[in-house]
Amino acid sequence: MTHVAAIGTYLPCWGSPRGRVAGGDEDAVTLAVEAGRAAIDAADGGDPAGGVQRVVLVSRELPLLEGGNAAVLLAGLGLDPEIEVSERLGGAPAALDALTSARPWTMVIAADVQPFAGAAAALVAGSGLHVVPAARLARSLPVRTRSATGEVHDYGDPRLLRERGVLASLASLGAGGADKPLALAGVDAKQAAAVCAGRPPALPTTGASSALFALAALAESRWSGPLFAAEQATVSGVRVGEGVAAVLRGEPSPRPVPASTFTPGKEIPVSLAAYDRAFSAKVRFEAGRQAETGELDFPPRYRVGQDGALHTDYTLVPLPRTGTVYTGVTVRIPVPGLPTPYSLVIVELDEVGVRVLAPVTGASPGTAQIGDRGRMVLRRVAVRSGVPDYGYAFCPDKPEEAAA
Amino acid sequence: MREVAIVGAGMTPFAEHFSLGIKDLLPMAFAECAASVDKGLDVADIQAAWFGELSTTDGFPSGILADTCGLLDVPVTHVENACATGNDAVRNAVMGIASGFYDVVLVMGADKVRESASKDTFWEWAGMTRDMAWDYPLGLVAPANFALHVARYLHESPATREHMAMVAVKNHHHAVSNPKAQLRFDITVEQVLNAPMVVEPFGLYDCTPQSDGAAALLLAAADVADRYTNRPVRIRGVGLGLDRVMHQHKRDMTTFPATVRAAKAAFAMAGLTPADVDVAEVHDCFTGVELISYEDLGFCPRFEAYKLVEAGATSVGGSIPVNPSGGLKAKGHPPGATGVAQCVELFEQLRGSASNQVDGARIGLAHNVGGPTAVSAVTLLEGPAAAGRART
Repeated sequence: MTHVAAIGTYLPCWGSPRGRVAGGDEDAVTLAVEAGRAAIDAADGGDPAGGVQRVVLVSRELPLLEGGNAAVLLAGLGLDPEIEVSERLGGAPAALDALTSARPWTMVIAADVQPFAGAAAALVAGSGLHVVPAARLARSLPVRTRSATGEVHDYGDPRLLRERGVLASLASLGAGGADKPLALAGVDAKQAAAVCAGRPPALPTTGASSALFALAALAESRWSGPLFAAEQATVSGVRVGEGVAAVLRGEPSPRPVPASTFTPGKEIPVSLAAYDRAFSAKVRFEAGRQAETGELDFPPRYRVGQDGALHTDYTLVPLPRTGTVYTGVTVRIPVPGLPTPYSLVIVELDEVGVRVLAPVTGASPGTAQIGDRGRMVLRRVAVRSGVPDYGYAFCPDKPEEAAA
Repeated sequence: MREVAIVGAGMTPFAEHFSLGIKDLLPMAFAECAASVDKGLDVADIQAAWFGELSTTDGFPSGILADTCGLLDVPVTHVENACATGNDAVRNAVMGIASGFYDVVLVMGADKVRESASKDTFWEWAGMTRDMAWDYPLGLVAPANFALHVARYLHESPATREHMAMVAVKNHHHAVSNPKAQLRFDITVEQVLNAPMVVEPFGLYDCTPQSDGAAALLLAAADVADRYTNRPVRIRGVGLGLDRVMHQHKRDMTTFPATVRAAKAAFAMAGLTPADVDVAEVHDCFTGVELISYEDLGFCPRFEAYKLVEAGATSVGGSIPVNPSGGLKAKGHPPGATGVAQCVELFEQLRGSASNQVDGARIGLAHNVGGPTAVSAVTLLEGPAAAGRART
């Protein structure tokens, strides 16, 4: 039996009630970090991040097949780089499987970018909401395929998928009888309603994360019963039982994606030597605290004293993630390689007197004003010559008001 | 320390010189400088040269200058100090003479901005000024660097976009009569305010154009200047100032501390005050930067720059005319050449021969700020009419 202590969810602010769209600065890793941080915040156990011993990321949208997502994921979550990360390719059934096979102190995160974006994370612990594996069936009905190079083929027969895929698999598992599922993840709302008992929870995605969004809904409603997840003809089921999981949802109401232009041009160059030097402070959002003076430097740096002595002795310390806009601009001319317009702000972080230069996220370009409050969030700030470049962006607290 | 004077000055027009390379522009500017020397120049008199170029078009700069200007027998030093390159080249050359090392030296500045596709310029030039890991990927393009300052300045000061527009209108008007200027047409405040937005709060007409060009100055020790002219322009003060490079490290973004430091050094060397300045060429790469610079240079109290433009004080005919050449805004801005060309303009202003003459100008000030906003150079010049009564 698995005990889920906390569940965090994240939906991008862009899109419509029908489904969310990832921002241009978001990918499966940044979505996963948002959900994972929400789960850690939901657990709220003093030093919950310190309790996590393993991370499993389930997605079919891993940003890098080679080159590594794990370091960014751990840094974004504020977890130790020695923690094991498993990256699993899969949909909703794989997310449920990851949950039921997880040992205590595993963070299971599922993230989707297409067709709808969202992520959810479950923190498996020693106590919490009981989840027991109930059924599993792998069948092949590859109505949609994607090759290693990303080429997608659609067979184009939704009724075949429904009849010979999900329904046939559920029937062979005996899930259509008296003990109907409370929720069915991995399918659209209409199909879920046709299969489930009562009125199943509305789920914002149809991929891996939908299984954990369903679990969050059951945890909030305190319903006990079967939860199924499907992907094409493959199905997994669990039984959700007693116990309580804290749920924290980062789900701002959806807004239309702002108009944006992408100007092709030369690839934005990257120096991986510079990337490597900056990585820890940049992706963990940590300043260098000078040993002698206690002063904070962001980015961390060596200093030279008045006596000419070199001071290299600094320790990395986390920076506050809230602050106020000191100044900001909006770039409206086309800049090759970046979607325009975009806003850049200098944010004065609370309490420490440290300022950071950051792109604005989660708000229409041009709406963030001097004095606005917000928080710093991990985003993919650029893709440079094939390398996703992660850093922190400023997300205004009240983007709608700023826009008004 | 020996006194130093400018005895010759020349420049190419600033323009999109698609048909002229750096190897063409340099000898053109040099020849015009030589032709301006009242009593003539024997190139063999030149003992050293300093060359300000921000980029490295068509090869390494010192060699290009020596080769194209026939100066293979003298040392040539490349100076690069961001947009303060031009006036810093002047400063280095002044030290060469003031120290007693040389009597006659050449200062040149040039750049070929339009050698790249305009859409590629952003990343190429940002790569020269930004931290590769931290700032560069965010798209902090050149106008954004200055806009971060000006946005805060507009927030704290009574100045508005209308005051910025008045700077653009003034400098465009000044450029109309300047045959060397790139944008020789009048504009209105309404045109500036209604122009397409580049980087808020800068519209198209708040921004300098992208320019190619070259400029040259012949410097001589004051005690040998009469070999070349009876009307030398003395270099009274030079100053260079620096500041923290990353914008997030600048505590007060409504001012450029680099300019304050450079001006302090130059005024101290000259024994002059801002009130002594009769005409100034100020770094107006973006209109709001000219306003902030009025305050940093001491032409007005803090946050009162708007009053100068409202009163027309910085127009030709006003009490402290700024950018009679049209400035970077309308004359153009090939960065390495810009500061040198400011001194070319002041050489003419202080000798009474400028195309847009400020009556009776005695003391001139040239100013650059760049890096972006982490380096500034200021040069103070004095015209020949006043040479006899100047303090020493």
